[in-house]
Amino acid sequence: MSFDLNLGLGMSNLGGGEDNNYDVVIIGGGPAGTSAAIYTARADLRTLVIDKGLTAGALGITGKISNYPGVPGPVTGAELVEIMRQQAESFGAKFLTDKVVGVDIHGARKMVMAGTGAFYTKVIILATGSMGRTSAVKGEEEFLGRGVSYCATCDGAFFRDQTVAVIGNNDEALEEALFLTKFADKIHLIVPTPELKAREALAAEATDHPKIAVQLGTRLKEIVGNGQVAGVRVHPRGGGEQTLPVTGAFVYLQGGKPITDYLMEQLETQPNGCLVVDHEMQTTVPGVFAVGDLLCTHVKQAVIAAADGVIAAVAADKYIHGRKAVQTDWK
Amino acid sequence: MSLLQEADRNHLINEFQALTEPVKLVMFTQEMECQYCRETRMISEEVAELSDQISVEIYDFVRDQEIAEAYNIDKIPAIAIVRGGQKPKDYGIRFYGIPSGYEFSSLIENIMMVSRGESGLTAETKAWAASLQEPVHLQVFVTPTCPYCPQAVIMAHQLAMESDLITADMVEAIEFPQLSNKYHVHGVPRTVINETTHMEGAAPEPILLSKLQEAVA
Repeated sequence: MSFDLNLGLGMSNLGGGEDNNYDVVIIGGGPAGTSAAIYTARADLRTLVIDKGLTAGALGITGKISNYPGVPGPVTGAELVEIMRQQAESFGAKFLTDKVVGVDIHGARKMVMAGTGAFYTKVIILATGSMGRTSAVKGEEEFLGRGVSYCATCDGAFFRDQTVAVIGNNDEALEEALFLTKFADKIHLIVPTPELKAREALAAEATDHPKIAVQLGTRLKEIVGNGQVAGVRVHPRGGGEQTLPVTGAFVYLQGGKPITDYLMEQLETQPNGCLVVDHEMQTTVPGVFAVGDLLCTHVKQAVIAAADGVIAAVAADKYIHGRKAVQTDWK
Repeated sequence: MSLLQEADRNHLINEFQALTEPVKLVMFTQEMECQYCRETRMISEEVAELSDQISVEIYDFVRDQEIAEAYNIDKIPAIAIVRGGQKPKDYGIRFYGIPSGYEFSSLIENIMMVSRGESGLTAETKAWAASLQEPVHLQVFVTPTCPYCPQAVIMAHQLAMESDLITADMVEAIEFPQLSNKYHVHGVPRTVINETTHMEGAAPEPILLSKLQEAVA
């Protein structure tokens, strides 16, 4: 069996080089994370924002915004985030499109592990929002590791010359579907909404790919099988239920729960999954802050998330420089 | 042609300054080198060149059968990472298949850990490992493109360091399809414990510990 063994050896995963060391690493590039980056970068803190993509978060997929102070609009969420990012970049913040898979939050030198490598930092600001899933689809847990997967790059090679389903409607789902075309014969892209909510170029690439069959407005009802995934039962809008025969089901659905899986239970959460922070947005671990929709204490609006980000950024600056009080930015 | 690039070599030379005790890479290949045997041997040799604290021994799986049996090696390519120097010790840390992609970082982390002589596990896990009466064998199936896998591999190897009764293998799933079939590996990381229990994903230490307790109960 041939397989790309990535003989680049993954050296970038080792981290530790000068380019991988930051003062602040922000996970999540929505309004909370990007506002934090504006302030930390402007405070001359070496800042990296790791984000899955412009349309990965709640604001990024919002259609029309006319109530963000200072931006009369209407603008799309993606446009608003892009304006914020440009502002952060103008102060020196770096943005990396990647997925964080783990963190080591303890100690003075913290580590953030992303797909492209490890990044070391004094402060971590968590801003991954609340689009995590609240419940699994029937059959999903039963067949986990037996055809159900959340990582096509990890598991795609097990599905060579087979038919699989990718379920989801975001950049990640489409990128993973396209990755699977290297191995699978056919990919059913099951999209719950009537239209794709991914980047235009990505959506076009997936739609035009001969191995990908896009099924819009189709809900996943159940993953079926007998010891191993054998099919997905789906319900197209306005049509009858049907079972598509597949051996793999790659699930990238979203919900309304705080996304904290990459933290591996290293931080205290409330029963509803929200992180616990103090008045400066610091979690129970010094140097680790959480902002935006990861918290349950506020109105879920972009401007509130942005304000959280600023509070955390100012506190991060104080933490790094060992100051007792916040330094004001106006005189 | 070397596999390690100049910048990577320099980075590793710097990282290996922290090595305090000698580490030995015991690598098994064969005359008619298997798929990725050559590359695995090259990785072992090139990494060993980067520090005086790292040595490498290359053995032929067929010709050096006694040594392979002494290390309990049953497939190739294989690397055992052992403590070298005056007090050599085989902790039961094994890599089966090429440690490339994300697993190269697992290899480096293991070298650092063996040299340090400290697993870094919690006191609770160490106490459980010390109390073991029966052997525990962990096989962590991986692919080189899996960013979640090194965490599972490193934790298994940390456990191996804590008890002579624990052995832990990284198994590159695509190179050993017969094992992948035997253990129903369709997603990685998948950790098989003592042939009977398995776990999907890279679990935090407390969850792995509870799975291990369940497996040996």
